[in-house]
Amino acid sequence: MIGGKSMNRQWAWLSSLVLFLAGCATTGRESGASLEAASPITDPPARDGAPTLFIAMPSSPNFVEVRKSLVAEVQKNFNIHTFAVGPETTAAELSSAIQAVSPVCVVLMNNVTMNLYRQYQMASPSATMPPAVLLMASFIEEVQAKLRRATGIAYEVPGVTAFVQLRTVISARVNRVGVVYRPAFRQLVDRQKALAAKEHVELVPVSVPNDVTAEGLRTALHNLAKRKKVDAVWMLNDNALVRNAEFVNDAWRTEMNDARLPLIVGVPNLVDPNSPLGTLAVVPDHEALGLQAANLLFDLSDNNWQVEGHPVELPLSVKTVVDLKLVRANFGLRPDALKHIDRALE
Amino acid sequence: MANLTTRRRHLPQPIAWLLVGLGLVYPYQPLPRATAQGAKPVVHVFLHLDAKSSVVEKMLQQSLPDLGVIVFGRFRDFEEGLTNGHPDAVLSIAPVLQQHGKTASLQGQRGGKSTEPYLLASVNQPLQGSLAGKTIGFVDLLGHDGTQAFLNGLLKTTDIKVKRVAKVEDLLPLLEFSAADGVVLPSSMLARLLERTRLAIKTRELPGGQVGLSAVAVLNPAVRDVVVRSFQKLDTPTKRLLGIDAWSVQ
Repeated sequence: MIGGKSMNRQWAWLSSLVLFLAGCATTGRESGASLEAASPITDPPARDGAPTLFIAMPSSPNFVEVRKSLVAEVQKNFNIHTFAVGPETTAAELSSAIQAVSPVCVVLMNNVTMNLYRQYQMASPSATMPPAVLLMASFIEEVQAKLRRATGIAYEVPGVTAFVQLRTVISARVNRVGVVYRPAFRQLVDRQKALAAKEHVELVPVSVPNDVTAEGLRTALHNLAKRKKVDAVWMLNDNALVRNAEFVNDAWRTEMNDARLPLIVGVPNLVDPNSPLGTLAVVPDHEALGLQAANLLFDLSDNNWQVEGHPVELPLSVKTVVDLKLVRANFGLRPDALKHIDRALE
Repeated sequence: MANLTTRRRHLPQPIAWLLVGLGLVYPYQPLPRATAQGAKPVVHVFLHLDAKSSVVEKMLQQSLPDLGVIVFGRFRDFEEGLTNGHPDAVLSIAPVLQQHGKTASLQGQRGGKSTEPYLLASVNQPLQGSLAGKTIGFVDLLGHDGTQAFLNGLLKTTDIKVKRVAKVEDLLPLLEFSAADGVVLPSSMLARLLERTRLAIKTRELPGGQVGLSAVAVLNPAVRDVVVRSFQKLDTPTKRLLGIDAWSVQ
């Protein structure tokens, strides 16, 4: 029996990591392009005279869902040309595809696609580039700075959104939220601190080195729980902090079990009543992200495609997964909370 | 595409998780739409309420046993359903019914009124004076052009930039992120907004701001009686969820 459970966990972790690599996590790693689509992508029939929107993206389901929602919104105004980016795609192939359709704007999904586009821009330093809208990639603000004529929508769910969601689910107070971060995440954490303050939530950050050990992470979490007296902990989508099942057990599970604090996570796999860890997962709502991207495109179109100075937007919409068993046992379930949860597990 | 929960009944959990990880099964894919059983008249519902669509659907299905109820959370899905699903009746608010050329057979009422004021909410101080050039958030009830026209009418100006969001709860991030100067919402949704946030929300009523409450349009005259009778028998909690306390036959 024990062996079976252990095997289950290994499988679950394998899938968890694959999910991270598929682009759900803020890892800085580039992937997602290698996954095959569940169904072929078909563009709506082109109409004479309509401007063309060029969408370059991997063909895995999350990207397909965003595209579907985006295309449904904009297809009356634009012709759509979709270019599937895979592991073999080169910058030259991407640039010739763009040049072939002369788009009024390009939409680029995931870091791999953006890297190819950057190579294209660097190879053509004097060419006029179409405006670019960046979606579903890590640290889009930093990517934007490296591209000409680009804006977009960040993929990381803002902490404040997650904290407000937690407040609507549990009765326990959520005034101080702790977060452990590595140096690469410092700017992100600083921005989250200011946003959280708007909702009267104090974000309490503790930094750890890049090569943090399980013991180091446990100490940081212990510090947040016992010394800094936080009301909840927010786990960043950083693969180095959730590198494998053993690491998570040794660091997160050990310390959070002891601390008995709500843990907010960014991937649904970490919310599982059979193996309690995350209390609440807050993940991007991909269909709504497509609508937000459509809004952005209409906005840019109305402004003659002036993307310069257009800041990267924050994602507006999320979905929630809650471990009800954990909530009921430790933090209290707010009346009416069930009406507002996307997936309640127990 | 299959729903994870459904799959997990048939597959060992590790395999199911692996499928999720590989993107072969996507846990957030909406459930396949319920289809009406037997000869039940089908009602399509499109309302933005203080509850997830799945919760509203379950509640209405339980309260309307003689009808097949399908609740849509997104405008595009609703439009597609209306075009391809051929419902027998539609439950929505007046502007949505009007945009699709439908006439209400049953009009919801609250406190004896069939309309409610819509409010313009903003942070720290109410948005007074001209709204020209302002960015205003609103739930996507009527699509890109329809929502713009609807808000132009409510706000009595054509010089606003509209940011549509997918759900009522997404209006709050617009204010938190200063992504909009204000958001428009039904007065019945204000309490929920205030409950969720610690921002200092200020409101003002809109000049053209009375909007019809939930209403039922019967599209298939052959089933009018059963549809009307079923909705008239709705219990109080369900009517409250719909934002009404009574129906009037039109």
